Amino acid sequence: MGRIKALVQKEFRQIRRTKAYFGLIFIAPFVQLIVMGSAITNEVKDIPLVIVDQDRTPSSREIINRFDAVPLFDFRGIADSPVRAERLINRGEVKAALVIPRGFEGEMIRGLMPEVQVLIDGVDGNSAGVSLGYITSMAALIQKGWASGMAGAGGMEIIPRYFYNPGLESKLNFVPGLLGILLFMMTTMLTAINIVREKELGTLEQLMATPPGGVQLIIGKIIPFTVLGLVQFSMGLIAARVVFGIPVAGRLSLLYLMTLLFIMSTLGLGIFISTVTSTQQQAMFVAWFSMIFALLLSGFFVPVRNMPPPVQILTLLNPLRYFMSVLREIYLKGTPLRYLLPEAAAMGGMGLVLITAATLRFHRRLE
Amino acid sequence: MKKSLGAVFRKELIHILRDKQSLFMVLSMPLLMLLLYGYAINLDMRGIEIVVSDRSLSPESRELIRHLEATEFFHVTVAPGGVSDVGDLFRSRKAQCVLEIPPEEGPLLLAIDASDPNSASFIQNYVTRVVSLSAGARAGLFTLEPRIFYNPDMRSAPFFVPGLIALILLLICALLTSIAIVREKETGSMEQLLVSPVKPHQIILGKVLPYTFLGFFDGLVILGAGRLLFRVPVEGSLLLVMAMMLIYVVTGLSLGMLVSTMAGTQAVAMLVTVSLTVLPSMLMSGFIFPVFSMPPVFQLVSRIIPATYFLEIIRGILLKGNSLADLLRPAGTLLGLDALLILLSIRAFRIRLE
Repeated sequence: MGRIKALVQKEFRQIRRTKAYFGLIFIAPFVQLIVMGSAITNEVKDIPLVIVDQDRTPSSREIINRFDAVPLFDFRGIADSPVRAERLINRGEVKAALVIPRGFEGEMIRGLMPEVQVLIDGVDGNSAGVSLGYITSMAALIQKGWASGMAGAGGMEIIPRYFYNPGLESKLNFVPGLLGILLFMMTTMLTAINIVREKELGTLEQLMATPPGGVQLIIGKIIPFTVLGLVQFSMGLIAARVVFGIPVAGRLSLLYLMTLLFIMSTLGLGIFISTVTSTQQQAMFVAWFSMIFALLLSGFFVPVRNMPPPVQILTLLNPLRYFMSVLREIYLKGTPLRYLLPEAAAMGGMGLVLITAATLRFHRRLE
Repeated sequence: MKKSLGAVFRKELIHILRDKQSLFMVLSMPLLMLLLYGYAINLDMRGIEIVVSDRSLSPESRELIRHLEATEFFHVTVAPGGVSDVGDLFRSRKAQCVLEIPPEEGPLLLAIDASDPNSASFIQNYVTRVVSLSAGARAGLFTLEPRIFYNPDMRSAPFFVPGLIALILLLICALLTSIAIVREKETGSMEQLLVSPVKPHQIILGKVLPYTFLGFFDGLVILGAGRLLFRVPVEGSLLLVMAMMLIYVVTGLSLGMLVSTMAGTQAVAMLVTVSLTVLPSMLMSGFIFPVFSMPPVFQLVSRIIPATYFLEIIRGILLKGNSLADLLRPAGTLLGLDALLILLSIRAFRIRLE
């Protein structure tokens, strides 16, 4: 026990002495949250749009006015011809175009259902789909307005209600997720590099040569880095509250419990990386590599259920995947523990396995 | 003159070939990233868990449920008695949305778990589409005839693969050059090279050229693999693609050189390159998120990031079949940024030498 205490004290002394840690823990979370939280948005809005008006009637002008008035579109004016509109799309100056055909109003009055062409740049498939969705609902809205004067224009109406995020703001989704990514980055990389540095310097061999071996050494590493991780996470929580005004809907104690479990798994990963690499350079490479994997397969950018089944199975190995959904559940929906038990078990189990594996490797290196 | 350049080039090549681990990383990472992005990033939703609380039990409502079940978007659970606690359903993640069909005529109520707002608006779109489909050909006034250009199925691979080329080229050229130059600084061999009769520009050129080939080669590998695995089209001229890749490789190299003058150790070089070049290029260039939807401040930032222009160019050539004439503006800007970066890094290097 006393030995672990001594090791922890040594670690904290080293951390206090390294200036970079201060910035890493107290400043970096704020800066990264602010920059990434406001830069990353998967909302599609301000879609550059032109309209070709071949009809030039009050109806076509009303369509133009309606599209001009909505902030979802960045109306770039009237194009002379469909060819011109296609040209603009080809040069990347607009992403969508409407073509209102000649005789549009007349045909509409006679009930002939004229066709309005929608040209969309499909290069970015996702944005294209969203744009098409907006245009379709705008068209439906305009038709409803026109039809309300006429009889028999019914159809089923849908009233949507958005739970937890009525304004559909993407920051509510991304900011809690960023907290998880920052924590993953710091705990995994710092532990890996810290231990590998001791290996490089040869101090690790010295420590391991003293009586009680690997297990205590690893505990002596885990405690200080867990504390660092928790402090950094708390700074992130404060930043999310102060900068973005996002409160935690669920129980704070539950959030911290989950964070603790997550840190166990990331520290385990960090220690494990340190046992398979021998230089800081290599440790950094491997840590970055696992970062990219973890990030892509976490559901941060793309929901896991959108991925093909084999990839979904792969995500089960990723601790960040569990923490990502835990963060969003607790932060936004206030989900209680009983619905988060699978995630808790997965993170805790992974931490246990990784730390045990790392300890065993430590012992083997010793012999 | 020529000979000393060749010697530095050969020396760097030996360094690269000797470090098997890094070489393996450089060659396998792009392919792995391609596979990941190609398969993992799929913004199309499938199997949305929807609970339908049918309180009307009419032929129309049964027809609607049949329509919902028929699409691959939804996985339908019918709750005949209604749903007592929608919030609990969402918190336990058993459903992403609940559609309530009222007993009498009236609007349908659609409750959506919007903790992922992007999915929420997709869900609303899908449900609206299915409902209007099931209500039969509604008596509308006009119809929309969508024509999706360049990527009619709106797949994500044709969008991400060209972007990945941009990212990998930058990662390899900037990161590896900066590390290679800083390594010589760290070990002290740079000073030795500088006092030798080899001219400074020959040293830099000789060190940088092998990475140019490496980056260029990786770019071609991604292009080929993207074509084979993900059917990414090459509509325009392949020669133009390669010419543009060369211009962009120069961008990466000069960024790497610039970083190398600032950094003293390999670890710092790595951190600076990643945070100053790779991350902004990934987040603010339009690689994933469209530039036109970003806040205005970040749109301005995206204008000084070379990747923004390269992405426009390479997506234009590969998917839209743009010719050089269509791309004069972005290509010109990219060349201008290149010139600026080269000037800056030469200056920074001179200052260091003095």
